[in-house]
Amino acid sequence: MKKIMTISIMLMMLISIPAFVIADENEENGTEDTEIDNETLKETQIMNNSLGAEIRLLQLQKAILKNILKGAMAVEVLDDLEFNVTALEAILSEMKDLLEEVKEANTSSNESVQIFVELKYEAKNLTTQFRETIKELLDEEKLNEIRARIREMVSEELQNFSKWVRSRVRQFNKNQLYRLYGIIGEADNTFVNEYINETVSLTQVKLQINKLINQKTKENRFEIFSQIKEENIKKKIHAQASIDNMKNKGKGKGKWS
Amino acid sequence: MNKKIISILFLLIIFVSMALVYSYLNKTSTDEKQFDSSVDTITDENVAEEIDNFFIEEDDEIEIGEMV
Repeated sequence: MKKIMTISIMLMMLISIPAFVIADENEENGTEDTEIDNETLKETQIMNNSLGAEIRLLQLQKAILKNILKGAMAVEVLDDLEFNVTALEAILSEMKDLLEEVKEANTSSNESVQIFVELKYEAKNLTTQFRETIKELLDEEKLNEIRARIREMVSEELQNFSKWVRSRVRQFNKNQLYRLYGIIGEADNTFVNEYINETVSLTQVKLQINKLINQKTKENRFEIFSQIKEENIKKKIHAQASIDNMKNKGKGKGKWS
Repeated sequence: MNKKIISILFLLIIFVSMALVYSYLNKTSTDEKQFDSSVDTITDENVAEEIDNFFIEEDDEIEIGEMV
């Protein structure tokens, strides 16, 4: 009788072990997913080369600059209405320091993903702080008035910066276009130049690539599709590896929520 | 009494084995189906989606939230 009981307990334990292992794996995966939002993860996918990293940091600069300008306008309005703006000015000053940090970030560094994620989350936190502080000072009607003034805001600095970012994105897309031509086995230099000179849009570029692929045989089409998909998966893996590496180093833990 | 326990254990072993075999076979066939469908049906949408992911939109922006 005792023997049978021991055997049955052992059997139950053996059955339970794989279940625990599977449950543990699922739990681990679940926590990782919640730490960094999907949007940020997607943004880091082009940062496997220095131009991609440069673009993401430039876009972050643009977002911070835009918020600094909006914040400055809000502070000006509040100052005119004789509100105490010390706390808001302090947050704006921190945002200006952060902008300088983003400008100085090394885009060719192996840690560019980590730098980008940390700076982005810092910018998000400062923006939230500013928004919460101003909400405590004004009612919804006044906030709407400020929002309306912000919408009308025109900044030459911001416009010029946006143009610069667009030109860098076009450069990146030009490089990607050549990579695609390499995979397809055909190239159209005139078309590339037209895209760079802004006589052809990105939508037209995509249509041309689609057309080229559709002209191929079924086998070639599958081969091209697989190679493009492979490149895209590689980017995703690289981004995930950079994020995992960042987490393993334990830097900035708890900042991503 | 002993006979009863042995038969319950025997049934338990058969049940667990069947469950394991079923889950293994089910997983394999799902994987095969996924592979087969990717080979056979590459739609224009699939190609367009992969091409989209290859480029960056020119008006792409980083969202850090609104100030007011």
